[in-house]
Amino acid sequence: MTGRLGRLIVCGAVVVAVAAVCKAGEPIQMLFHAGVGQRSSLMDISKLFEKRFPEAEVNFSFKGSGYFIADIERSHEGDLYMPGEEFYLAQARERGYADEYDSIKDSPGYFMTVIIVPKGNPAKIRKIEDFARPGGKVSLGDPKACAIGIWHEKIFTKAGIWDEVRNNQVHSAKCIPEVATAVQQKAVDGSIVWASTAVLYLKDIDTIPIEPQYRGFVSLPLATLTTSQHPEMARKLKEFVLSDEAKKIFRSHAYVIDPGPLDKDGFCTDGGKASADDCKWLVEAVKVARNDSIPMNEKTCGPLVGEVKRQRKTTRAGD
Amino acid sequence: MMNEEAITTQEAPHAGRIPRSSLGFWPIMCVLAVATILAAYFVLIISNALYLGWSDAAYFLPRERLWVRFWLTVRTSSIATVASLIVGVPAGYALSRLRLPCRTLVSTLIDLPVMVPPAAVGVFLFGIVKSFPVHQFSELTGIRFAHNPNGIVLVQFAVTVAFCARLMKASFDGVNPRFEQVSRSLGASLPATLWQVTLPLAKNGIIASAIVVWARAAAEWEGLMLFVGGTMAKTDVMPFSVYLDWNGGMMGWVVTFSLVCVALAVISMTAVRAIGGRSYVW
Repeated sequence: MTGRLGRLIVCGAVVVAVAAVCKAGEPIQMLFHAGVGQRSSLMDISKLFEKRFPEAEVNFSFKGSGYFIADIERSHEGDLYMPGEEFYLAQARERGYADEYDSIKDSPGYFMTVIIVPKGNPAKIRKIEDFARPGGKVSLGDPKACAIGIWHEKIFTKAGIWDEVRNNQVHSAKCIPEVATAVQQKAVDGSIVWASTAVLYLKDIDTIPIEPQYRGFVSLPLATLTTSQHPEMARKLKEFVLSDEAKKIFRSHAYVIDPGPLDKDGFCTDGGKASADDCKWLVEAVKVARNDSIPMNEKTCGPLVGEVKRQRKTTRAGD
Repeated sequence: MMNEEAITTQEAPHAGRIPRSSLGFWPIMCVLAVATILAAYFVLIISNALYLGWSDAAYFLPRERLWVRFWLTVRTSSIATVASLIVGVPAGYALSRLRLPCRTLVSTLIDLPVMVPPAAVGVFLFGIVKSFPVHQFSELTGIRFAHNPNGIVLVQFAVTVAFCARLMKASFDGVNPRFEQVSRSLGASLPATLWQVTLPLAKNGIIASAIVVWARAAAEWEGLMLFVGGTMAKTDVMPFSVYLDWNGGMMGWVVTFSLVCVALAVISMTAVRAIGGRSYVW
């Protein structure tokens, strides 16, 4: 009986030791809460990070920005947080889940507003004021559900045509892909989205840069979480996401790295000089994506060459 | 054996058939309604297949990205189905055969997850994994549930277990209790009667129910979005991939995943018809 008990204890100890050794060899599991819109950029960045730091593995929880606070509050899990709007990060900070962050330094890039219209621009939308034409059809985001909805109101109010545009509203979207899909399906004459959204539909949607005075920029905020189990690795990951290398990846997905001077509402104040190149490449990328005879390289589509290659590979966009 | 056939085939469908001679306006309307539903399905599937096109289908279908998510879906929903069956079969038996106290209340509570939106189930799961005893179990074993494949199984299980119990009850209801009474009167114990009489007679219903439960688990995504979130190739089962890729404007993948999900559903329901065609469950 004693012998059997002894064998049992030895076996138990071996199992625990093996488990401990296996666990010691396992990479650190990081959890990164991020808005679903940032998926492509963050997946590319995480691959680089894991190569650089093989002791860490980055897991993402991608969802709509509005869902995060409840998730972090209930699960108390997560190392980093990057919503699509600073408002959500401020909420997390207020509740003690996010560490301190600087809204300028701790942002790898900016969303930029652009006009999108269906391929061929059947309603001949050229500028912001064209959305106020009687009988027009516009898709607007619900400001309570998505950040772009807030910007629709801000831009059209600044242009003094908010009431006219609201009269033309035929579609209310709960998230930004809904706006883009409405334009892609030609259900509306056009709308305004982030450049990082417009670049996903190069073959089906025409992009028109907004006049500089109405061109808005929203910073993409990033903070470490107080719930982090691996604060040191979380800090390294944050630094990596804010590095020039990662910023280059963000730029290749149509985020703007340097928007130039902005007013207190986030509108451009330099006449569009700093973001002129970003706008130019977005328009060029549409041309290259649709014309197989134009070579795909940095000369023809600038930093968006990866996006163009991805979308030219198939008729309907893949990865 | 003859009696068993008589019992398992005592289903009503054929008995209720309308004779051809009495075909009138109302039956024709009913047939037209069925034809409209089928036509709508047909148009939806064909239009999506045409949108994707042959060349894109040939590109997307063999890709590893699709099959990684396909097998993740199959694996997690199969584990969740087994877990649901472990709980659902005895629960269904109890609901069907035992005189439970407050039977209506118990039955209503069991049905609750069937009626509650899966997103709400996802929210409740956060509460469970941070409470006793699941939290202590997680701490002790290192097995985490939120934000990883264990979480997928947990959500699928939570969404399907009540559904499973309800279907199992229907399967057991389809078995004539007289056989069990005869078995008991001949001296067999309750477990022996269950194993040797009830379960074999309810076999078709149980298998058919299991397939329906599996298909339901494989289609789950709302609870996953809340409770698990999407990590590429780790937690993005096919229905979840449709949502994530739609957000990324990857319409090729969206349509491919959707068509594969439809194909899975058609195969599952065909299997239900083939295996459980003589049972009451569906």
